[in-house]
Amino acid sequence: MRELFAAAPAPRITRRARERFLVNAALILVTLVALIPVGMTLLTSFKREEDVMRKPPVLFPCDTAAARFDPGACRWSVEGYERVLLVTPSAAAPLGFVLRGRMLRTFLPNTALYATATALGVMLLASLSGYAFSRYRFRGRDALLVGILAVTGVPLLTNLLALYQMGVSLRGLPIYSDRAYIVLVYTGFFLPLSVWIAKGFFDAIPRELEEAALIDGCGPLDGLARIILPLAAPGMTAIFLLTFVNVWNEFIAGYLLISRNDLKPAMFGMYDFLGQNIINAQLVAAACVIVATPMVLVFLIARKSFFRAMVEGAIRG
Amino acid sequence: MQSTATRARQNSPRRKGGAGPRRTLPFWLILPTVLVLLAIQVYPALYTVALSFQERRPAGWAFVGLSNFRRLLGSSSFGESAGHTLVFLVGFTGLTLSLAFVIALLLNRRPALSGLYITLLFIPWILADIIVGVIFRLLVLPDYGLFSGILQNPELFPPRGLSLLTAAPPRPWLAGFPFPPAPAMVYLILAAAWRALPFTTLLILAALQTVPSELIESSRIDGADGWQTVRHIILPLILPTLVVALFSLTLSGVNGVGMVFSLTGGGPGSSTEVLSYLLYVIGWLRLDFGRAAALALMLAAVNLLLITGTLRVTRVQQRGGPDA
Repeated sequence: MRELFAAAPAPRITRRARERFLVNAALILVTLVALIPVGMTLLTSFKREEDVMRKPPVLFPCDTAAARFDPGACRWSVEGYERVLLVTPSAAAPLGFVLRGRMLRTFLPNTALYATATALGVMLLASLSGYAFSRYRFRGRDALLVGILAVTGVPLLTNLLALYQMGVSLRGLPIYSDRAYIVLVYTGFFLPLSVWIAKGFFDAIPRELEEAALIDGCGPLDGLARIILPLAAPGMTAIFLLTFVNVWNEFIAGYLLISRNDLKPAMFGMYDFLGQNIINAQLVAAACVIVATPMVLVFLIARKSFFRAMVEGAIRG
Repeated sequence: MQSTATRARQNSPRRKGGAGPRRTLPFWLILPTVLVLLAIQVYPALYTVALSFQERRPAGWAFVGLSNFRRLLGSSSFGESAGHTLVFLVGFTGLTLSLAFVIALLLNRRPALSGLYITLLFIPWILADIIVGVIFRLLVLPDYGLFSGILQNPELFPPRGLSLLTAAPPRPWLAGFPFPPAPAMVYLILAAAWRALPFTTLLILAALQTVPSELIESSRIDGADGWQTVRHIILPLILPTLVVALFSLTLSGVNGVGMVFSLTGGGPGSSTEVLSYLLYVIGWLRLDFGRAAALALMLAAVNLLLITGTLRVTRVQQRGGPDA
């Protein structure tokens, strides 16, 4: 093999080709190494309990008494998933079983609700104010923009103490709900950066388009709806998705600010689950896969949107 | 007067938009945002300041001046956590930045499949910090983790093998400063860097793509080797981005707490208890809100400093840039 490479002449062509080969080889290696933890988790999630509890651990549950690796004898299993979802036979259900696991019945729907509500709210508010900041020069504009940027610097973590105390005192009110409160907190927390992102997106839309609409007799709001919104849709989608993923992945606020366990989000469920099942790695791994897969899919489908929002957010105006 | 108004109107059709709804429109557009931010960001921040000067007594809250800060700064757990945070931040930012720089250099060669590489490399970024902590924890579970077979092999790691999450920290070189770090801290840094790597890589790659290729070509022609080109041409040009990345990594490192929860729980002992986790311990486990508020304020101050630094760098960058 080595001789073959050494023997290859024509240095002109090979220099380029060799460089390309090396770059690709290095990148493939980096990608594979980077994905080892993900791959290992997937592997673990499809093992049986007795294969997870092996000492020393085995990578593939495919060894037999005779051979160390026998592809025909692999003991793959979905036991972990079944136990996370708590598949229970039921005569009344259309498929013959129901899923009773708390992750699926309680925590994931909570998270989906909070993430959707927050993302809608942030998208709406950030679009309105981002548009105003992009198009109007009014008194206090610059001060407000800087103020919003400064607020971006206040991390959720350090505000949690006060937000927790506020929640405790608001809890006395008849209209208080943990769900509404956490959505409000998430909205307030993810809004500032989104305002800047939205402003950046609106700045990139040529002003002349609106002026033309104005001349044609559109009112300002009319112009916003008919001309700007379609052009701003990709940006707004990006803000929605980024906020959705951020809320989905958020842990500490959901854990501390929501008092009732049945209202807590999936990341709390994950943490709780870890505490109770740490020995059953196949269960924990399956729970990870269940909670993370929706976000990975969203990312793979809409990755252009994410990159757009990220670049805009990183540059910040 | 007339002419300035006309000119303003030409620059921006609605600059002084006459009377009535047009003039107040921006106000109404911004109002909801401002209200939410006042309620969720500004008021709690002020509340935290007020809280930091008080202490809960059986009779209610009492004003205690700076005593919370004094007691916090005087406590051994604060000094220790600050040390852990420093070790974590240096390891985390150093590791992430250098790996991201190398990967970005590779991607900047624009290999045919760079879109695929970036997409796959970005998967860790989309995972929650809690999940990343869990994933890394499963890998090194005592005895059963898939890496534990190697790590706990006494021949590779004498004398008794290495159980990452339970091994005691080595003796510190300097009394009171947690260096060299516990194996669990090194592992925490590794997990955090794994998750932060994609974003940092993208940031650096974006900067690399603004470096004119003629510059690199001409330095090649002048006889510079690869390292010299990187050192003298590329690094100076993308330095502002590296600083921005450093600040943003430090920010996420200071505030990130989920991974500590699910990976180490602050342990073994307190060897991975960083300041953000200490805030949880003081505030919610010891229910000492006054002292926790004092700690929260200090963390917020660090954040504001970092944000200001980032802004200054980006502004300098913009002013120096061609289209500023």
